[in-house]
Amino acid sequence: MSLTLFHRHVLEDYLSDFGTKANPNHLAVIRRPAIFSVLAHRGHDASVENELKSVEGIDVRDCAPGEWLVVSTSAGAAAIENLLADIAGASIVDQSDGRALLRVHGPNVRKILAKCVAVDLHPDSFPIGTSANMLCCHVAVNLARTGADTFEIAVPRSFCGSVFEEVMEMGREFALTAAFADS
Amino acid sequence: MASLITCPHCGTRPKEEFSIRGTALTRPHPAASEEDWHRYVYLRDNPKGRYQEYWHHAAGCRRWLVVDRDNVTHDVFSVTDAAPARGASE
Repeated sequence: MSLTLFHRHVLEDYLSDFGTKANPNHLAVIRRPAIFSVLAHRGHDASVENELKSVEGIDVRDCAPGEWLVVSTSAGAAAIENLLADIAGASIVDQSDGRALLRVHGPNVRKILAKCVAVDLHPDSFPIGTSANMLCCHVAVNLARTGADTFEIAVPRSFCGSVFEEVMEMGREFALTAAFADS
Repeated sequence: MASLITCPHCGTRPKEEFSIRGTALTRPHPAASEEDWHRYVYLRDNPKGRYQEYWHHAAGCRRWLVVDRDNVTHDVFSVTDAAPARGASE
């Protein structure tokens, strides 16, 4: 992983960080998530998925048939790489410096995201634990529901500033605030 | 975002997530005649009505799909993954 990209977050210039208090609707930028792309080799889709689901301490996000994003906000990239290295029939690529992770939460989060994505985010059709690739503010991102009022967006690094500004714009009427997450 | 395509992997999505390659033609055999290859590479019908096309779900699962739709009414009859059909001929 490139050290420069690792130590200077892409949203550093977008967040003034003057210690403003977080409002109920808040966007937290995770500073150093470990994000891996996992691709199953032909015919190994089901076995790789089972093995991924049995690994503890990681979140598995669905991208496509036989393709996942593995996200961890607690462990470092090296630790996750070791965990995933044992999985047979899968290719693993470290995306930690290629993706930024935004966590949006609050009572109005669905109303905010309704202006960003064209997918129905009602709990009946997008329950907790669901994730998918979709267009968010004209950028292909991976959106996951991690709680009743919490969503996580994994954005390609170079598009992150644009997505961030647009989500903040859509959240203005709900007083959306943003800051780096403490952890 | 009026035109909705139901991707077999991702569900109903707006057409903005896709890019369209063109008619879903079957590739000729490598030893096919030059006329067959010329027809496959350059010549296209321009039908009015039902039409099968390759669509790429660029912002979603990034899979190639075959979309069977009517280009007059934009009724979508079926959307299938392009890989199984191709795998059978390989």
